[in-house]
Amino acid sequence: MKNAFLGIVIALSASAQQQNLARTADGHPDLSGVWLYSIDLPPAAIKRQSAAGTEIKGVDSSGRRPATKPVAGALPFTDAPSYKPEFQAKVKDLFDHESKTDQVFYCGRPGVPRIGSPRKIVQLPKEMIFFYEDISGDAYRIIPTDGRPHRADANPSYYGDSVGHWEGDKLVVDVTNFVDETWFGEGGYFHTDAMHVTERFWRDGANLVYQVTVADPKVLTAPWTEPPRVIKPSIEPLEESPKCVESDASKLINNDHHSQR
Amino acid sequence: MRHRIWSAGLAVGLFCAAGSLWAHHSTSAEFDVTKRFTLTGTLTKVDWVNPHIVIYMSAKGGGAASSSEEWRFETNPPAWFKRVGVNRSDFAKGIGQSVTVEGNRAKDESNYGYLLKITFADGNSLELVSGTPAEGH
Repeated sequence: MKNAFLGIVIALSASAQQQNLARTADGHPDLSGVWLYSIDLPPAAIKRQSAAGTEIKGVDSSGRRPATKPVAGALPFTDAPSYKPEFQAKVKDLFDHESKTDQVFYCGRPGVPRIGSPRKIVQLPKEMIFFYEDISGDAYRIIPTDGRPHRADANPSYYGDSVGHWEGDKLVVDVTNFVDETWFGEGGYFHTDAMHVTERFWRDGANLVYQVTVADPKVLTAPWTEPPRVIKPSIEPLEESPKCVESDASKLINNDHHSQR
Repeated sequence: MRHRIWSAGLAVGLFCAAGSLWAHHSTSAEFDVTKRFTLTGTLTKVDWVNPHIVIYMSAKGGGAASSSEEWRFETNPPAWFKRVGVNRSDFAKGIGQSVTVEGNRAKDESNYGYLLKITFADGNSLELVSGTPAEGH
């Protein structure tokens, strides 16, 4: 009974929050803004010692992590994709040799959805513009929201061909036409050119929520919906990413590795 | 004159933590994380590049007094330094000056290491330490 009451309070609170959302002239929630850098970074902190004293500062990687609390509006999700039995050994082998097989390690483009949520969103009446800062280079995406279909003349690419539409207060971005050389997540999650990604963006108070569904009927038993991520607003301006020069590969003496993203 | 002081164990915990989420290759696959060594020399160059920034040092070796060795140290990525408030200029201000670096040496025993701490001529220092990020979710 108490839980039911709490649930009603949370639902009413969420509903009130949604009503108070900033909206654009056409009535959609305003997703514009600069958002927290959401590429995984080392968890270490810096200790700076100077005449002014000692300062220790860490990084906020929350935008890269699954949300740790229930998020209003999130789809049911699982922690990992389900590959067809005949591909499970390949996934394991790719992951076991990730330091050699993952192109992101060699300055490769992560592609959608691995690049994560955008650093900056510009919301226009008929299109959304996403800007990213990434180790491999600073990507952008222009996503029509005027009802047009996918392009028929685009070449396959790392970030795919996107079209968006609104479902209530959620922006739903449909992405197709990928090259097949990226992974859609750490763990050796390879895909084929049949990959179809659906990204959902919505506001949760001051924050942006990002949730991804990956379908690839050639290798997955079912579409995989990832845990939602909650992205905080940021006041940090975007900055051009330095060039990527990988120089460690020749010094690796074994396959030991950890995950990146 | 002894320019290198090798010590064991101090950096193990930190270094494993620093590499556990970001690096694709384990730091232990490339660097001897069981030994933290100290090297003093002249900072000659700072490469602010992904996926790791790299600093260059010219250090006197243990042999002939006039000989010097060229060393390189990589450390965390530019985006990490940016988020903890350290810019290229914080390193580059030391170019041409004597600096002392603590780090882990590459297992191939080349003059290459992973920088854990740098102390500049004015006594100011930057050090990677274990940290708990402030996260709301």
